[in-house]
Amino acid sequence: MLLRLAFRNLWRNSRRTLLTLSAMVVSSALLILALGVFSGMFADMLASVTEQYHGHLVISRPGYQDDRNMFAHFVADPTLIDELRSYPGVRGASPRLRAFGLLAHGDATRPAELLGIDPERETEVTSFAQQLIAGHYPERTEAAALIGSGLAKKLGVVPGDDLVFLTQAADGSLGNDLITVSGIFETGAGNRDNALVLVQLPWLQRLLVLPGKIHELALTIDEPMAAAEQAASLKAGLPADLETRTWGQLLPEMQEVIASYDVSRLILVTILYAATGLGILNTIFMSVLERSREFGILMALGMQPRQVRLLVLLETLILALISLILGVAAGIVMTLYMQRIGIDLSPYLSAVTYAGGTLAPRLSAALDGKNLLIPATALLLVALAAGYFPARRAARLKPVEALRED
Amino acid sequence: MNFLSLAWKNLWRNRRRTLITLSALGLSLFLLQTFHNLSFGVYAQMVDSGVRAGSGHIALYRSDYAQSRDEELSFAEAGLSAAIAQKPGVRAALPRVYLPGLAQSSRESRGILLMGIDPAAEAEVNPFWKNLPEEEGITDSEGRDALVGARLLKELKLEIGNKFVVTVQHRDGELTAELLRVRGVLRTGLKEIDASMVMVGRERAAAMAGIPGEIHELAVILERASDQSRLLPVLAALADNRPGVRAVPWEVAMPNLSDAIRLDYASQKFIFAVILLIVTIGVVNTLLMAVMERIREFGVLLAIGTTPGRLRLMIWHEALLLGLLSMLLGTLLGSAATWYLTARGLDLRTLLPAGLEFGGVVFDPVLRAAWDVRWMLQMGLYVVGLCLLASIYPAIKAARVPPAEAMRHR
Amino acid sequence: MPYAITIVVLFCLGLASCASALDMRELIRQVETQYRGSSAQARVSMEVATDNWRRTLEMESWSLGREHFLTRILEPPKEKGVATLKVRKEVWNYLPKVDRVIKIPPSMMGGAWMGSHITNDDLVKGSQVDEDYTFALLEETATSWRIECLPKPEAAVVWGKLVYEIEKTRKLPVRIDYYDEAQKPVREIIFDEVREIGGRTLPARMTVRPLDKPAERTVMRYHDIAFDLALGEDFFSLRTLKAR
Repeated sequence: MLLRLAFRNLWRNSRRTLLTLSAMVVSSALLILALGVFSGMFADMLASVTEQYHGHLVISRPGYQDDRNMFAHFVADPTLIDELRSYPGVRGASPRLRAFGLLAHGDATRPAELLGIDPERETEVTSFAQQLIAGHYPERTEAAALIGSGLAKKLGVVPGDDLVFLTQAADGSLGNDLITVSGIFETGAGNRDNALVLVQLPWLQRLLVLPGKIHELALTIDEPMAAAEQAASLKAGLPADLETRTWGQLLPEMQEVIASYDVSRLILVTILYAATGLGILNTIFMSVLERSREFGILMALGMQPRQVRLLVLLETLILALISLILGVAAGIVMTLYMQRIGIDLSPYLSAVTYAGGTLAPRLSAALDGKNLLIPATALLLVALAAGYFPARRAARLKPVEALRED
Repeated sequence: MNFLSLAWKNLWRNRRRTLITLSALGLSLFLLQTFHNLSFGVYAQMVDSGVRAGSGHIALYRSDYAQSRDEELSFAEAGLSAAIAQKPGVRAALPRVYLPGLAQSSRESRGILLMGIDPAAEAEVNPFWKNLPEEEGITDSEGRDALVGARLLKELKLEIGNKFVVTVQHRDGELTAELLRVRGVLRTGLKEIDASMVMVGRERAAAMAGIPGEIHELAVILERASDQSRLLPVLAALADNRPGVRAVPWEVAMPNLSDAIRLDYASQKFIFAVILLIVTIGVVNTLLMAVMERIREFGVLLAIGTTPGRLRLMIWHEALLLGLLSMLLGTLLGSAATWYLTARGLDLRTLLPAGLEFGGVVFDPVLRAAWDVRWMLQMGLYVVGLCLLASIYPAIKAARVPPAEAMRHR
Repeated sequence: MPYAITIVVLFCLGLASCASALDMRELIRQVETQYRGSSAQARVSMEVATDNWRRTLEMESWSLGREHFLTRILEPPKEKGVATLKVRKEVWNYLPKVDRVIKIPPSMMGGAWMGSHITNDDLVKGSQVDEDYTFALLEETATSWRIECLPKPEAAVVWGKLVYEIEKTRKLPVRIDYYDEAQKPVREIIFDEVREIGGRTLPARMTVRPLDKPAERTVMRYHDIAFDLALGEDFFSLRTLKAR
């Protein structure tokens, strides 16, 4: 009965209803879009940290990630790698061997970090294959090197040139060999573009006299934010003398950046909610207050104050629910559009290095359930609060006074 | 004139409605202004600490040193810093020498970057010195006292007061080694600096490289970032007699910092546009509602002989008054909040995990606002404009409605 | 390779005709004048034991004064032909496998030379003991002197002090101890197997031991030494480095 009356009331004053509705729909949709953009930036940052070098989890000997001691190696057991790859939640695993030494071309000599990889496996973890600015990504067995753009420039090499790498091998000898540059990558991160070279794993194993050995296994997983849990679940299947580190442990400063980013997001989101809530609160407040006269008539006709209060709340609830459905739908559509298209900033910016990660100059969005649920709940509460006070006031009115009111 | 006092009276006749509209508008304006001033301040803060830790608002380099970092590209200082520091608007001029090299202790050796600085000038502005106890500061430009990155110090197994030897390449190709002594520890939180930076007096570093009196970089810190474009040609002119030496703005010298800030700024701008939109919708809605609810009242006015033109004028005057009042209220609130955020700042240290300090460069946990008065006024006028705009449709409509119908209107 | 050079310095020290009064600085200076212009060629074997590898190298080396030094690996076959040239303060490596000469940049000077306990930087610094240190007689026994060498305040040395033990009769080095600034011993060099090589009586074996890793050492043994050859500075060139 009351519900029908509420619907009829809303319908009867369609102009006011539409005004209120539009305000709520548009602001909740925009709020969802804004939160989606935040999530998109966050996803970009996370990807930048992990996909450009480390991966989400890195398995190595205890302490290797701290001092990069050449002798903290382990056997690249193919069954272990296959097991890890098929583990639930794990998307890829790449075996790697690392060496620091001198890279020379012609008269130019530069210190460099060599990462011995399996080109096919590495694409499961990092995105070097997508960051080539010249040449090609090495074939499976091709004895070729991918070199960072800054390093390539300093050494004056182009794809096809030969490089000499010199380092101390594991047997104390002066390991040295020639390798041909197959491609040049540019990640935008200076420390990598200026010092990193990717080479074939077997080639580096020979040069370092570490046959069949690797320093680390880099993994990508489905839920990077739950990297610690995933690491714990992997522990049982790993040899006891190996440890797993998460991207957060490997790049503590990145975690700090993310934490600081979370804080600035908190501030922005508070302001966003405040602005949205204020708008909605006012619209509903106003629309209920203006109807004092109407409530007066209802009470004069014998409606209980309790019923009047309920009626107002019911109307508000209906209004809020309708607008939330429309608003969330519009928000999803806008977020998806933004996710697909994004706003390209590359004419104004180059890639940005951000504490070990690199961000593409692009604004995009990501859809996250939390970004829908929280605004929806919050707005519903705001709407009900906005309805409650005028409803109480309406219920307390004396019919005669209310009728006199404008 | 008459209209204004009539509008004023009208506004206060329905005090409740006016107060609600006023608070909605005022609070929205307050949010806009406070948010803008806060992010304006935070960016200024980021730029400021970024340029202080890096190469200044304006940096002087020879040729493409900023990109190539070729140690050969040094140039004569010869009083240039002093000349630049005297220019009005310049806060400090920091001459610097950079040399890659090797540091050795009796236990270990590590590759390092030796940075030669002018201690007196640097101590005043470089945020890396902020956390340095006074006794750890270096004072002599030719001395052997050095500041060593915390991680490097640990790896070399050194302590404050210990000696170590730094080897760099001399201009003639040979290597020169010098004894240095650890005076203080650099704890910046930046991995690269903590693991590889050794700071000594500029003359000491230059002598080691065989380039006495020469520098690789002259970082100029300005009083106000906005003076940058004005001072750029002035500084370039001062260095005119040095062939190949160019003055570049910090955006060019530190593209990474500049891009990081701009990317962040772009996303903030986007969010800001969204907030503005939400506020606009809220404001327009409230106003529309307020005016539309009064169509009955307008009908009465028309019925008692008010001409439609006068009615329109009255509605607009009311809107104008309402807008101005909201602007006043919002700006007052916004100013109060900005004042608080400027003086006290928004301290996020309690919200962040302990020990989180990002070098004082990228992120400072105390956010501070800055005044952008022009912008605050613009936003205020925007709200007034919104009021007038939102009243156009109801004003026209109200004036057109036949009185009888309007009076029936609810 | 300070030890290689130190050993030569000390060999010469052994030859210095020392008068009754022991003026240590004068002793070193005499060594210096005698040493300058003198050249040597030697066949040396080097045994390295670290926690991670054991290796034995046969090398042939040439030196001229303290500024020029060239060495080439003869054994094992895998490393045959790898050569190091040091001229004043610069070091180059020649790599026969890739037929390239690579100059060692300053930042790599701390690296181990040929996997031993000798760094590239040790090669460069050579022995400037007479220039960088002040000397004091610590102890005199019936058979030996122990001389304490304290670095001059501004000398570019990482050590807190060195202590030389020198046998009196033949004026031959017995051992050198290296201390850090806290006067804690860090490493030692021991000279023994004294015999006649190249017409002079010298310790043929030198053992370098880092004291924080007791299992590690580098042992150099001199098989032949020929002194005062007709080697000019032009011999120590990149061309000679690459030859063969």
